[in-house]
Amino acid sequence: MKYAFFLGCVIPTKYPQFEAVARKSLPKVGVELVDVEGFSCCPEPWNFKSYNIMAWLTIAARNLAIAEEAGLDILTLCSGCFATLAEAHHILEDKPELKDEVNKRLSKIGKKYNGTISAKHVVQVLRDDVGAEQIKKSVTHPLEKIRVGVHYGCHVLKPSETLRVDDPADPRILETIIKPLGAEVIPYAERLSCCTGACQDEEMVFKFRYNKLQSLEEAQVDCITLVCPACFEAFDLGQVMLNRKLEKKFNIPTLYYVQLLGLAQGLKGEEVGITRHKVRSPALLEKLN
Amino acid sequence: MPKIDLDFKKKLTRVEYADFLTYCYQCGACVGDCPSAKLSPAFNPREIVLRVLLGLAEPLLKKDSIIWQCTTCYTCQEVCPQGVRPIEVITALKNIISAQGMLPDSISASVGIIKDTGRVVLVSDVINKRRTEQGLTELKPVPMDELKKIL
Repeated sequence: MKYAFFLGCVIPTKYPQFEAVARKSLPKVGVELVDVEGFSCCPEPWNFKSYNIMAWLTIAARNLAIAEEAGLDILTLCSGCFATLAEAHHILEDKPELKDEVNKRLSKIGKKYNGTISAKHVVQVLRDDVGAEQIKKSVTHPLEKIRVGVHYGCHVLKPSETLRVDDPADPRILETIIKPLGAEVIPYAERLSCCTGACQDEEMVFKFRYNKLQSLEEAQVDCITLVCPACFEAFDLGQVMLNRKLEKKFNIPTLYYVQLLGLAQGLKGEEVGITRHKVRSPALLEKLN
Repeated sequence: MPKIDLDFKKKLTRVEYADFLTYCYQCGACVGDCPSAKLSPAFNPREIVLRVLLGLAEPLLKKDSIIWQCTTCYTCQEVCPQGVRPIEVITALKNIISAQGMLPDSISASVGIIKDTGRVVLVSDVINKRRTEQGLTELKPVPMDELKKIL
């Protein structure tokens, strides 16, 4: 299983620990990550799409064309990159006139996108190409006592018509790839709510995040697990910002899925980078040791 | 008297994926599951589509428009029985605001960084140092000549 590793912007700059652990843990389940030169921002599907859809689509097509030249499907750790690249691929297949226009622009730099590859989120690769059995085989340190609250986020699931990853009203993909690690997935009321990263109203954002964290706290989870750097920022840095406004203090650490995978494969907390996070929990570290 | 723009609806039906807006029968399914509508009653995807249909979208086309409260979660598209995709209508409105040079400052800044550097985060020496500490290679600059030519 060979993929063009699409890093995106936020993970390699703000959270390189996720990239580092992916490079160590994914080969252990048979995924080969190939570094392809020349990728830019996907571009992200919130602000840049608000600016100009054609510009968004053209830059996305250039990234897809680079992977296509290398003859590889794309693997990304980021839901934003996934949403942009998978949706752009879909639009270019769905609307031939847009594909012609985009390819006319790409011809200025000697590139063309034919639509022969696909862009996948790491969770899809793990569920569909690797499989739960193979994940389980790579586990040397099962995370038996860890109570995980999953946060799906929006852009790995929706629009489902285009992305076709899972049922957004009742998704199971994260549970499917967490269970082989030995951790316990804990249901909670706000499981499917949004991180609200794109909402421009600060008061609303605080309320959204308060409701989510309150729900996670009531469910007595040891950590939140998610698969998007924007969501990560919302619950790691976002939790610190929220705590400044509150009398009570939340202390729920957030782990990227690949960090859980790395831990289950025997890497230490420091090696997967959880000591670099803003919200740290001595109780979780103790449980892991 | 509010200004009525009778051609506005037609303008939006020419935007790909926003073009199903005339199928809206105002059922409000998009409101019930909208996370923003839950916290801010003034934000109402059903009403946003209605305003476009009636040619009364002008108050939505501002720098401080209510539409920036949208979380872009796509739930409205999932639940719409008519396939309207209210989120695409909202994105089309944002593109109009953008063409008029009225994007909110934070969004405008983020778009500017991508247009200048090809990434949404500025790569600094500190970032590259943090990468090498973790056994990763330094990030190379994005080929901006290519990006500028295709935009």
